[in-house]
Amino acid sequence: MNTVQVTVKMFGLLKTLAGHQHELSLELRQGSHVRDLMDLLHARYPQVGEMILNKQVLISINQEIAHQETEIHVNDEIALLPPFAGDCGSDE
Amino acid sequence: MAVETGDMMLVRVQRENFSVDQEIDRVRNRSTRIGGIATFLGTARDHSQGREVNSITFEYYEGMAQKKLREIRERALQDFDVIEVLILHRHGAIEIGENIVLIVVGAEHRADSFQACQWCIDELKRITPIWKLEQTPSGDVWVEEHP
Repeated sequence: MNTVQVTVKMFGLLKTLAGHQHELSLELRQGSHVRDLMDLLHARYPQVGEMILNKQVLISINQEIAHQETEIHVNDEIALLPPFAGDCGSDE
Repeated sequence: MAVETGDMMLVRVQRENFSVDQEIDRVRNRSTRIGGIATFLGTARDHSQGREVNSITFEYYEGMAQKKLREIRERALQDFDVIEVLILHRHGAIEIGENIVLIVVGAEHRADSFQACQWCIDELKRITPIWKLEQTPSGDVWVEEHP
């Protein structure tokens, strides 16, 4: 089974929930999609997985918002984006 | 030192504080057709949702944040009758009362500059990957942790 190693950038609260890691290094099957990454994250980091399932976290690939069906390729820049500062009812 | 006026200076995410006057001049100097300049300046306040706040730290996604801010500027220039738009956001540790974010919009007439300025700050808050960590007396709180 061919696999690809991917790096996932973490921001904000998610870093804390993932054990204070700025980046996660994960192994996916070749041809995996975002939904496969979500399953893997849920297994390894249940609190992060819950936030993704509750749609509190967006996943970006190459700095664009991705969807569950988006395919992941080697060297893709993947990031988990918790709610942005301005979108949480706050106001400067 | 000469003031840079390229597009690079019109969309920035930077750690350092900024001079509002200097940034307004940066927009003013882009065109003599400008007859009105609207600004929004966001500053750090000492409370948030009932909590005391001692200071704030902003984290951002390098690359994507600048990309989203450039998109906002380009859409504002396209969708509103305005001449120039500047968007600037700080990151890192910010003390209470300090500048956080600045929008400057130059137009021929005030109504267009007001509308575009409000749209820009609303859109910035909606789509830009920037996160806020508040330092409070009971510990550090990411803003999304608030109930």
